[in-house]
Amino acid sequence: MSGRVGIIGVGQSAFRSRRDDASYPDLVREAVSLALNDAGLGLEDIEAVVYSLSPDAMVGIGNAERLGVDAVGARNKRFLRINTGGATGISSVAAAYYHIAAGACDVVLTAGADKVGECGDSQTVLNKIWDPTYERALPLGTINMLAMSAVRYMHKYGMTEQDMARVVVKNRWHASLNPNAHLRALATEEDVLASRMISWPVKLFDCCPQSSGGGAMVLASERYIKNRKLDAAWITGVGHCSETYYLGDRMGNGYAADHADAYALRNAFQRAYRMAGITDPRKQVHVAELYAPFSNTEFHAIEAAGLADLGQSPAMLREGAFRIGGPTPVSPSGGTLCTNAIAVTAMVRVIEVAQQVRGRAGAHQVTGARVGIANGNGGDHQFFGAMVVEA
Amino acid sequence: MAYLTKAGVIGVAIAPCVTDQRRSLEELLYDMGHAALRDAGLTIEDIDGIVVASNDQYDGRAISVMAASGSVGGVDRDILSTPSAGEHALVMGALRVLSGQYRTQLVLAWSPTEASPLPEAQRLAADPYFHRRLPLDEPAADALQASALLAADPGLAEAAREIAARNRRNGTTAYPDLASAARPWSGARWPLEPGMVAAPVTGAVALVLASDAYVAERGIRDPAWIAGMGWATEPSFLGDRDLSDAPALRAAAEQAFGEAGGKTADLAEVADATPYQQLLASRVLGLGANLPVNLSGGAQSFNPVYCTGLIRIAEAANQVRGRAGRHQRAGTRTALAHAASGFAMQYQTVIMLRGEAA
Repeated sequence: MSGRVGIIGVGQSAFRSRRDDASYPDLVREAVSLALNDAGLGLEDIEAVVYSLSPDAMVGIGNAERLGVDAVGARNKRFLRINTGGATGISSVAAAYYHIAAGACDVVLTAGADKVGECGDSQTVLNKIWDPTYERALPLGTINMLAMSAVRYMHKYGMTEQDMARVVVKNRWHASLNPNAHLRALATEEDVLASRMISWPVKLFDCCPQSSGGGAMVLASERYIKNRKLDAAWITGVGHCSETYYLGDRMGNGYAADHADAYALRNAFQRAYRMAGITDPRKQVHVAELYAPFSNTEFHAIEAAGLADLGQSPAMLREGAFRIGGPTPVSPSGGTLCTNAIAVTAMVRVIEVAQQVRGRAGAHQVTGARVGIANGNGGDHQFFGAMVVEA
Repeated sequence: MAYLTKAGVIGVAIAPCVTDQRRSLEELLYDMGHAALRDAGLTIEDIDGIVVASNDQYDGRAISVMAASGSVGGVDRDILSTPSAGEHALVMGALRVLSGQYRTQLVLAWSPTEASPLPEAQRLAADPYFHRRLPLDEPAADALQASALLAADPGLAEAAREIAARNRRNGTTAYPDLASAARPWSGARWPLEPGMVAAPVTGAVALVLASDAYVAERGIRDPAWIAGMGWATEPSFLGDRDLSDAPALRAAAEQAFGEAGGKTADLAEVADATPYQQLLASRVLGLGANLPVNLSGGAQSFNPVYCTGLIRIAEAANQVRGRAGRHQRAGTRTALAHAASGFAMQYQTVIMLRGEAA
């Protein structure tokens, strides 16, 4: 390949339940302006754009990326859109990475936005991801889908509702330090356990919010970065892997994958680690931004990333292993649990890790972070992307 | 910049018009993926990654790529989707091979017709405040583009009639078994005349891409090398555009011709949802009057709306590989493929293909 690919600019909006002040393209442009300012570049410097947008129905516009063309300055430039559901953000960063690694471009922008908070009801939209004949009518949503994963994880590894609550307490504390996070109020275990039951064992506080906001990143070739003496975080590992579509294939006799775990995410991480030369993530990774929209899913994400053995992450969390100040802080930004504008959520994971290894994360900075990991999950816990980012 | 390695098309399967409505989408995609792999002499175990393209509104599913992942062999594999356009899946797959991190890619796109009526699904892509209530859909945008071209040159109407008739004749030669399923669409808007737009049909297309190292290692004899690749977009609002011109196509062509070292081609497959699209593309691409164009019959013959662009590229690749079948042009060594998607060709893609001996 053409040398390394670096991240030279990032932008994320302040995420909120509603952004009535900004139209959908406005929201994209907001993030793009922040990323370009961070990179010290203008739109004229951008050679190609990868647009990050998950289901069209979430913004109520078919192929809504077309409306974003001017917001990202792509007129008469290379432009395409990526969609892998919740993994879209990290898949878009990977797609931008391939533009540069292939030698097609020196500077590529990836950007997007979502208005999940204004879509009416995201679960109604997300029900439409399932097969109309077999599984849509159950009715499945992403909450009860991952509540079933929690039940299975409890059965296999003994996780309790209190263990889940501890994830929320940790991530809310992290989010309280991050001005971009959506849910920034501290929560106690009692608050979580007393919150409204949504789909047992998942309660309201175990769920991510529906967020509106945008994200953007500028990636560049090593040659471009060195010629201009720019500050960069380097993408050293990229991996994707997928699971089955039908949830029924993850349950019952002869299942193809265990719904407690995330074997395809583990494979995605292993691919990224192989590329980055990481053989012992517990020692070599300093910070992780893991995609976990529900408290229970942070456990199998930690294990898939190789930061804990299967079933061991709840005990390690109790010992403080994943909090800021612990051995490997997980989601110091507050993570997906505190902010979820679906189209860019997985991109924000990469943005946050890039900021951490560049020493620019602010109040939630992990001291001495030089190697970070990020991931995204999409579809019905089906598409997984993982990335290693280094200083 | 120059690519660091080469990528070629080594397998193709084209279904320009699926007439058997008994098969599910998943069965169709399974068949297409396997057909392209068979054509390449590979199995799914040889595939490093997959890129698919589909349209949520046409499929009636959110994240419509999900349903494909099992049937195209995506389980336990790396799969991406480019819902912006079918042809963007080819671009993404090629970039992944050219990055040196993948040796092979399977690329697929499909276009069903269950959404009824299709223009209503397309109307959802118009911005909700200004254009959706017009109502704007792709046939209306195509008609506005034809209108703009005719305003500049009223004489184009006769040329458009000739193109429509010629492409339909080519389609009958290329796919005689499907000729009876090719029908003009009754919904064409003025100034498009009856017979200038083919009725939407179900279709699908799959290609296998490989790196030059993989082609050499496996002894694959007839790759269609991607010699140049350009893609670009115009803005979304039609009011911001001059529909009688195609600046994004000019930009895409400049990229592709620059990489290929020129625009020389033995034939071309060009976007022709309406004959005016082909007229505009031919002018901007500078295609010679004697160059064979759309020997496959184009979208004038078979119009699986969402994947017509990727089919143009697949047809051009097959010509270069000498595997186009009844419509093979003898001695084809180089081909130009042009694809367009969105309202009035918002997205433009140009792929230059070259055979081993060219």
